[in-house]
Amino acid sequence: MTTTSPWGQAATPASPAAAMAAATTEPDLTPSRPRYDGKLGELYVIYLRHLVLMLATLGWSRFWGRTRIRRYLWNHFAILGDRFEYRGRGIELMVGFLLALLMLAGWGGLMYLVWIYVFHERPLASFGLFDIFSLSVALIGFPLAYVGHYAGLRYRLSRTRWRGIRCGLAGSAWRYGGLATFLTFANAVTGQLLTPLVSVNLARPRITNTRFGSLPFVFAGSAGDIYARYTAYYFLNIIAWVVAAVIFFTAIGGAVGGLGLDFTEDEIRKVLTRPSLRIILLVAALAIGLYIIFSLLILPLRCWWQAYLFRYLVSHSRAGNVLFATAISTRQMWGFLVLNYLIIVLTLGLGWPWVMHRTLRLISAELWLYGAPDGASIRQPTDLGPRYGEGLLDMFDVSGV
Amino acid sequence: MATSARFYDGETAQVHDVSVRTAANELVIFRLADAGILARWPIGELVVLGDVQHEVTPPIARKGAEARLVVDDPELRRQLASLVPQLAPLAGTRVPPVRRIAAFGATFAVLIGLFWLAVDYGTEYAAPLLPYSLQVKLGESVFEELTADKDECHGKAGMRALNDLANRLAKAADYPHEIAVHVMEGGPVNAFTLPGGILVFYSDLFDQAKDSAQVAGVMAHEIGHVVHYHPMKGVVRQYGIDLLVKLVSGGYTDLLGSLASGGNVLLALRNGRAFERDADSTGVALLEKLEIRADGIASFFEQMLAKEPKDAAAIAGIWSSHPPTAERIDATRRPSTGRPAFTDAEWKAIRNVCK
Repeated sequence: MTTTSPWGQAATPASPAAAMAAATTEPDLTPSRPRYDGKLGELYVIYLRHLVLMLATLGWSRFWGRTRIRRYLWNHFAILGDRFEYRGRGIELMVGFLLALLMLAGWGGLMYLVWIYVFHERPLASFGLFDIFSLSVALIGFPLAYVGHYAGLRYRLSRTRWRGIRCGLAGSAWRYGGLATFLTFANAVTGQLLTPLVSVNLARPRITNTRFGSLPFVFAGSAGDIYARYTAYYFLNIIAWVVAAVIFFTAIGGAVGGLGLDFTEDEIRKVLTRPSLRIILLVAALAIGLYIIFSLLILPLRCWWQAYLFRYLVSHSRAGNVLFATAISTRQMWGFLVLNYLIIVLTLGLGWPWVMHRTLRLISAELWLYGAPDGASIRQPTDLGPRYGEGLLDMFDVSGV
Repeated sequence: MATSARFYDGETAQVHDVSVRTAANELVIFRLADAGILARWPIGELVVLGDVQHEVTPPIARKGAEARLVVDDPELRRQLASLVPQLAPLAGTRVPPVRRIAAFGATFAVLIGLFWLAVDYGTEYAAPLLPYSLQVKLGESVFEELTADKDECHGKAGMRALNDLANRLAKAADYPHEIAVHVMEGGPVNAFTLPGGILVFYSDLFDQAKDSAQVAGVMAHEIGHVVHYHPMKGVVRQYGIDLLVKLVSGGYTDLLGSLASGGNVLLALRNGRAFERDADSTGVALLEKLEIRADGIASFFEQMLAKEPKDAAAIAGIWSSHPPTAERIDATRRPSTGRPAFTDAEWKAIRNVCK
């Protein structure tokens, strides 16, 4: 765990003279970190209760379960000694879900009319109603998932309080959805070369539209700043894939040659349909080998880039006079991205609380704040935020805590 | 009584170090520094937001107001709770998690087991109880999807003969609903059943069949699926297991869905093999009950096996949706005695149903 702040030198004036100058001309940049004091056991009590109720109610209790987990996590997280407060309600999430369901039903009805009047009993009759519906949902689902992400963030922030003041998110979720869809598409057709542009331009609306009461957040990042690092990552990544492939196929060739294995067509068919224990073990060993090569070469490189990107986005954000910074390392990003994923998969989902707990501990260890907000100048917003929340997130299965 | 606490006024983000005094009908909140009164909250309007199981320090608020009073010290919270009935929730203590984890964990495991049993065995009884109109609607919509790019055959005499036998077989099994047979032009050499008593034949099957007994055998097999409500049971089980996986993963993600889909497919295939065995034996039994030649099923399988000696189902083992063909031939072999299923004229009409 890091104990010195990434901007330690800025927070600690070098000499008494400098200290005096700082007292008169410089803003207060006293460093601090958030504090998370949740206990894994307590979180598991809430989570297991949630799972039991989920089974008993066939999933309808999830809105309330999610709310309880948030209440626990929010309230065990504090900045400058003041805890966060989550005041969302399960019923709001349920109504949001039902509204999204209604929206999807309306869309289904519309597609039914399109099918009846455009496709039905025409030369394109092989294009069935189900095809039209699933294709259209896949098409609208992509932008809608982004809209849902943004609207969900708005809902969560509007139910979050710190020092009694509500947070919020301005801006249009639809505009964000359109921008995100366009940038993601453009990035895909340009071979991921626009990633820095996409990352910065999608982070900007989320950060600059965030409000703590009347205080807006500020983001001063620019894609140009991170292109050099991304270009290095991009080509290193290609080299790593080539090296990984060479190592992997050399290993397979060596194993097949070394063991004197020679397969006939029948044996290959048998291997593919009724594998013997030896073959299963061999395939498992190869899969593990592939994963190890992948983990050693590809994932650390990706974490190296993600950690850099995260450090950049955080350190170019501020809220009034409060500056943010983080020194999150590649190893910590690996723990966040890869290890957390493995925990969830290997525990068949029961590791969720552990992952949430680990994530909040990581944030509290690695996020640094410089300075304190001017409480008297920050007013309670008049906007109460959306009445219902997260329906789209739920619908497209992209919601987390 | 004076207690130190923090007060957020709800208008600005200032933090006030405060003391609290309980008077007869109100809670008086005043600054520690200069004793200036910040708020007077009527006792009757006090509320505790949240509880001690989720919040470390459940905030105290006045109903409908934005301001918050946070008392961190548990001892002081207990004192307030004992003095003011509205603040009683503050006195709660957290129960050590070990026992509760054990209790919820055990309940969770039992519920998963029950859910699994309900899905695996309950569908056996529940699927036939689903409103028949719903089953028909489902079957019809799937039929439209599956056959959208095929031409349907409507030869009157042939369709009448097929529907007549299908309904006789179903009636012999005391199946209370009408069977609707459809014939699609072309291949593969196959037939299948959909929910709601919908039977679909491909015309290539009639072209390839050696005699009418084979078509009757295939039809009896399909009627076996119908009378056991296999299509509906398959749908319900698949849906049930999907739901279970979703619930067990906390409803947060479908990440595990992809992981579990392998197990789900295996389960569906296992169901498939059991369903096929049931349909084979029921089909033969129904033909025998109506005193119709019952050697068609086995002879059809023999013909298929002769055409494709490497039996895909036998090679695929647990990955197959059907039992090995040789096993099915042994189980369904019958003598070529009994009445023919169709008259010569009917059999001719069936072979020409698409012309």
